[in-house]
Amino acid sequence: MYTWISLNSSADLTKLEAELSSEFGPARVAKKLAGGISNAVKGVLIERNYVDKDYRSTYYNFYAKKGQHYRADCVRLHFFDGTVTFDEKALKLNCPEGAKALTDHYFGFVVLRPTGIATIGRSIVSPDVRSGASRYIISAKHKVHLLGYKLFIEGFPSMDQHIDISVCAHAACWSILRHYSERYNIYREFLTHDITLMAHQFDPGGLIPSKGLEVSHAERVFQEAGTFPVHVTRDNSKPKDPSFYRQLIAYVESGFPLFAAMHKHGHAVAVVGYAWRKAVNTAIPGMRYAWDEIEELSFVDDNQLPYVPVPIKGGTPYSADDIDAFIVALPEKVFYPADAVDRLAPALFKLGAVVGLPPQDQTIIRYFITTGSALRHFVRERESEFDPKLLAAIMTLPYAQFVWVVEFATEAQWAVGKVAARAIIDATASLREFMPLWLMHSQSDALVFNRLTVSADLGSGMGALKLTDTGHGGFTRMEQNLRPTRTK
Amino acid sequence: MDKGKKEGDVFESIEGLTPVDPKALADFQREMNEQVIPEIVKVVQERRMLAAESRHWQLKC
Repeated sequence: MYTWISLNSSADLTKLEAELSSEFGPARVAKKLAGGISNAVKGVLIERNYVDKDYRSTYYNFYAKKGQHYRADCVRLHFFDGTVTFDEKALKLNCPEGAKALTDHYFGFVVLRPTGIATIGRSIVSPDVRSGASRYIISAKHKVHLLGYKLFIEGFPSMDQHIDISVCAHAACWSILRHYSERYNIYREFLTHDITLMAHQFDPGGLIPSKGLEVSHAERVFQEAGTFPVHVTRDNSKPKDPSFYRQLIAYVESGFPLFAAMHKHGHAVAVVGYAWRKAVNTAIPGMRYAWDEIEELSFVDDNQLPYVPVPIKGGTPYSADDIDAFIVALPEKVFYPADAVDRLAPALFKLGAVVGLPPQDQTIIRYFITTGSALRHFVRERESEFDPKLLAAIMTLPYAQFVWVVEFATEAQWAVGKVAARAIIDATASLREFMPLWLMHSQSDALVFNRLTVSADLGSGMGALKLTDTGHGGFTRMEQNLRPTRTK
Repeated sequence: MDKGKKEGDVFESIEGLTPVDPKALADFQREMNEQVIPEIVKVVQERRMLAAESRHWQLKC
């Protein structure tokens, strides 16, 4: 039931071909893994007769009804580094630091479905061993039970589409919702077949889902799952619509994977990460945004292994700028949309004389959503950067659950991960509020707003803090939602 | 204690706050009221209309 394969390099993954029966599509699987998994993987444990809940959901509702016979169980491949060995007689995994350290040497798993075509099922692979994976990836910890060991793997879920009963859009929805169910305990788990049903008002039955989904169906899936999807479409009447892409990266940086549609390809993917371009000293005046500093996005595409690095333009078969609509499955209570933040952020320079901002034409703006508690946690961990009065204000303000954070950095600060100033915007603000802020601060000054009274009376609804110089070159940029990839 | 009083106290409990002359923010307030807010309302409405069109795009690759 268990077979261990030792590898000298990832090219040896072709050995899988000899170990798996044809219904698992071994040749295609071996080629795909050999081409996309790094040489850090030195051992593969094949777990046969594995009962996979996602495959079973499609088996009970589709494959079992067919004339062709399909197996009910799957094969699962587990990836380990070179320190782990397998005792085939004792069915025991060994590593030098003991069984409790196995997780540190585990790179995840790939389930293979017995469907002959598109056999790669539910998979959680560490970005650390995915060749070319981007620098920052949205991830969650997934628990894995294997041979009585409890292992954990941090990654983003992926699978091939089934082709006959699910298409790319189902796979993208499934990936995002499986991430949510592992990352946030308020969301339940949805199986592959659940997703195909949630897309429609009634059960379309049989092969109907394979005829494709409309973007509205994906939106419906996220609504049914208990999220509050926001659907943003590129305005093709504006050249390149940079605001669309600035919002896209803002949500990704906030830790929300995106359901992204590429109309001209008729394709959907999940956007799960990004990499900054190398910091450059342009010395060219002009305000820039975080999007302008992005080199590539990371896609989970059901036609490929996860974490596909996709350049902003000029890529094959697609580029990030082929995305022309996305859905972000937000929690409730984010009422102030990214469109509003995108327009508000440059207007905040009008407060520059009071707060002390860098010159607008030398600033890089970055904005994202976080929770009030995550903001406090971030500040608490770096309290030496903050004047005690400012720290006390940040800890005291009665934020709603979510806030938008706008960071302002000079080019030099950007290069070293620092920011000059921050604005904290109430994510529950209304579109027509002229002062939707909780706080805006630099190193020298802060403006604090009383959200109860500021709209009615600006004078009594705000106060200023004069801050003492804490002697640093900028506050640490707030990067905590995505996992940095540690390439192995 | 009513909610208004409680929220007011939170703001007043922040030490070191000094009053700000609202005139210092007059430029910002004017820009928000005359330009930014109307643009935000317009762009949000436009995005809704664009989303309505893209809802019918077929995805099947």
